[in-house]
This record gives sequence, C-alpha cells and structure tokens, in this order.
Amino acid sequence: MSREIAQGIHWIQELGPARTEIGESLLRRGAPWFDRDRTVHVPQNAFLVVGNESLLFDTLSPLGSDQIIEELESILGDRPLDYLVVSHPDVPHAGNTARILRRYPEARLVAPREPATHELYHLEDSLRVGVGDYLDLGGPLIQFHEATFLDAALSVWMSEETTGTLFPVDWLGFPLLDGEGLSFMDEVVDPETPDDELVDRLYEFHARVMFWFQYADVEKMKAETDMVLMRLHPLIIAPSHGPVIRREPQRLIQLMKGVVERVHNTGRVGVL
Amino acid sequence: MADPAVELSGDVSWIAEAFPLPDGRFEHVSVYLVEAPAGSILIDSGSFYHRERLRRRITQATAGRGIGAMILSHSDYPHSGNVPDFRRLWGDFEIVASCADAAAQGLPYARRSRIGGSLDVLGRTFRFLDPPLADRSHTSWIYDEASRVMFAADGFGIYHAEGETGFTSRDYAAGISEEAIHDFHKDTIVWLRYVDPALLMDALRAMFDAHPVSWVAPIHGAPIAAEDLDDYLEKLERSVVAVSEGYTVH
Repeated sequence: MSREIAQGIHWIQELGPARTEIGESLLRRGAPWFDRDRTVHVPQNAFLVVGNESLLFDTLSPLGSDQIIEELESILGDRPLDYLVVSHPDVPHAGNTARILRRYPEARLVAPREPATHELYHLEDSLRVGVGDYLDLGGPLIQFHEATFLDAALSVWMSEETTGTLFPVDWLGFPLLDGEGLSFMDEVVDPETPDDELVDRLYEFHARVMFWFQYADVEKMKAETDMVLMRLHPLIIAPSHGPVIRREPQRLIQLMKGVVERVHNTGRVGVL
Repeated sequence: MADPAVELSGDVSWIAEAFPLPDGRFEHVSVYLVEAPAGSILIDSGSFYHRERLRRRITQATAGRGIGAMILSHSDYPHSGNVPDFRRLWGDFEIVASCADAAAQGLPYARRSRIGGSLDVLGRTFRFLDPPLADRSHTSWIYDEASRVMFAADGFGIYHAEGETGFTSRDYAAGISEEAIHDFHKDTIVWLRYVDPALLMDALRAMFDAHPVSWVAPIHGAPIAAEDLDDYLEKLERSVVAVSEGYTVH
C-alpha cells in the first residue's frame, strides 16, 4: 500500500515488526500514549516522486524487499524509475538498492557527495549530490540539503520545492502503534494533543537513534533548529521513521527543542 | 605470503587495512582477531573493498582454520559488509550483533548483544558498552575482559600517511598527531559540531576508569597502547573543542 501525500509524491511504508522492547520501556515509564494492549512499531518510509521523470528516496529495509518492488511496479506501471536516491547507506534505508537497480537497471543511483568513501558502500558509480544541487523531474523540483541532524556522515536531506515537502530522514522520527500505519500525523494524534505527549513520542525515538543529544550543547541545538526552520520552511515534512506531517510542521520542529533538552537530561533509552 | 597481523596482546591481533582518501591520506578499515578457547573470533568483518585481502590474511593468521565467530560493533557496511561472503567461506559461524532489529539490518541469524550486558563467545567473555563516540545508535564498544582490549568501532580513529597503515601508537615517536585525530573525528562524527566537550570527555574518561584497557582498538585508526591513551585523550579533547568551537550556527 502507498499513499499520495502531495501531487506526485507517493509514500511507501514498511511498518516493521512489533517492538516489544520499546513497548516494555514505555510501560515502565508510564508513557501516556501507550498501553499494554497495543504494539509499537518504528516504521521505515520510502518516497517515490513522479513527474516527467521519477525518483525514489530510500529503499525500505531488507524486510521490505518484496514490498518496495511491488509498490514501484504498481505506481510506475510501464514507466521507468529514473533516479534512486540513497539518503545514507544504512541497511534499513539502502538495503534494497541492488535489487531495485536490477529491476530498474536504467535508474541513476544518487548518493551524498561527502565524505568520499563511496567505494566502501558500493556507491562508486553514483551521481553525487550535496547542498544546493537540484534535480528537475519535469514538474517536481528536487533540492538537496545538508543533513543537519544525522547519524552517518555520508548523508543528505532532500526537499521537493513545488510542494514544500522536506525529507529529513532520521530527524522527526515518531513511533507508531498498531493501526496507525500510513497515516498522517494529524490522523495519528488529535491536533489538540498537548505538546508534552508529542514530545514524549518524539523522545522515545530520538533518545535511541540520536543518542548523542545527551552530549550536545542544548542552546546550540535550539539555535540550529530555528535555523533549519528559517532556511527550509517546510510545508510538509516526510520523515523516514514516522508519519508525514502536513499540518503545523513548524510546531513539530519547535517541539524538537524539548526533545533535545530531555535526551540531554536523561541520556539514551535504548537502541534501534 | 600476505602481510602478517600485528599482535597487540598474546591472543589479540590487528589486521590493518586502509582506504585511500582524495587528499592522499588513508583511513583504516580494519578488523581484529581474538583467539578464544573454541576458535578464532573476528571483530567486525571489514569492508568488501578489502574482501580478497582479508580472506587471505585471516586464513594465514588462523593457520587455515578460518573464523569460528564474528562480533559486530554495528552493521555499517565497512564493518559488516563481508558477513555473507565469510559465512559462505568458513561455514555458518555465529554472528553477534548489537542492533535491536537484526532482520531489518539484514542479519536475521544474529545473536543479539545488549549495551550494558556481556556474552560468552567461543568460551571468552565480552562486555558491550555504550559508546560515547559513535554515529549509529546501535553501535557498541566491545571490551574483551581477558585481554582488556577495548574495540572502539568508529571512535578513536585517525587519518594516516602512506606507509603508516600498520603503525600502532607505539610507532609514532611524538605520539599520534592531533591533526590526524581532529580531521578524522570532524569528518566522520559530524554531530561533534554540536557537542559540549566536557560532557563527552567526562563520559569517555569514566568509561576508561571503569574498564581499564591494555589497548584501545579502533576500526578506523591505529591501536592505542595503554601508556599512550592519556596523550591521545588530551589531543582528542582539544580536537573536540576545536570542532565544536569551529562551528557556529548561521
């Protein structure tokens, strides 16, 4: 299943297995948005942008290998895939690269420009992109950005400029409960949901994936968060590990300041 | 005859490989071998870039026996890219991996290590530690209790010059250069630009207080002997301060 989140942007989601360890952690700390009858999942998203040309951003994990091929075939039909962008060469994001390129051998592999260690990731034949680079898909206009909040050094963020959609990869991840797959943020949580509860869900993800927030200068991170908002001013946010945010994207970005502060104070809660 | 492994302690050796960078320097992408009572344990798999050399060198270092188990610090390709090939070559030996969802990392057969825990692997005990210097969340540093070698994954790396690939800290007369430490960490652990250096260095020093080392054994750097660790940490601290102060939000 996929969902079109804006003109020509298709959201493909691998919900992933039930994360019992995270569920136990949530029960221990009494997270208000979770109870023992639910299962918690950390989704893996890929996005297919289709204009005159098409571009896939990330590949799903090896668990989603059949799914990504089926979704591409369903959406593209007889059309080719023109670009495959690897946000960063982590297995859950890039693990189906070889299979997709076998199915669509004409697709151009696109990878972050720096650092120059592409041969360690089988990315030596890729088109290298970085800050300020564009790809005109004939309708959709793709721009690449620095991956500001990241894990791997070899990373890139992307936006689609005609819809104002930002793809911030691991930033703004948000665990889902059973039944919440492929739902927009405003369908997962009521708009009246208090900030504390949203921060708590964001915290559960970032206190694992961005464990380094515990060592960060919080004020510097807050300033950088403001800078990301000012520089990229997204209208839609399409993260790799959470629901697409189409309402109040600025609110969610501002809440990340509280997430950083909390991880800084508590340390990490686990791993992914 | 392949290049011999570098012996660190009696039963821990380093198989040093390096990747050339555009500026003429090199980055280590190495592995370590630990001789356990029930076989040889490889720490990380190395990169597929070095696959054939590693096959030869591991075969030589183990007198043709190959490896009996592998412990992965994390599942990044330069650390884990040879898992399928080595398992085909040396049998379906045990893989120990730190990720919470091994199947999503392409390692459905792995036994999980947990940060803060310990495991017996081929009769030898390893502790899995929360790494203050890392990029991926599921990275663990691996502490071999018998040898007191700390396998430090992506932390404690350096860039090095041609001809220095097999150097340990003991081979650098003036110690490992601060520039090599700074440049490696600035490029590869990008979040250091936001770091509070005191918090990070306190965590590192606390780890070494709790787990005294004979060697720090990075995948991307020269092994650091215990007597050289203070020197490295002082240079690392200045490097981290430089990276953090050198980045302003604008």
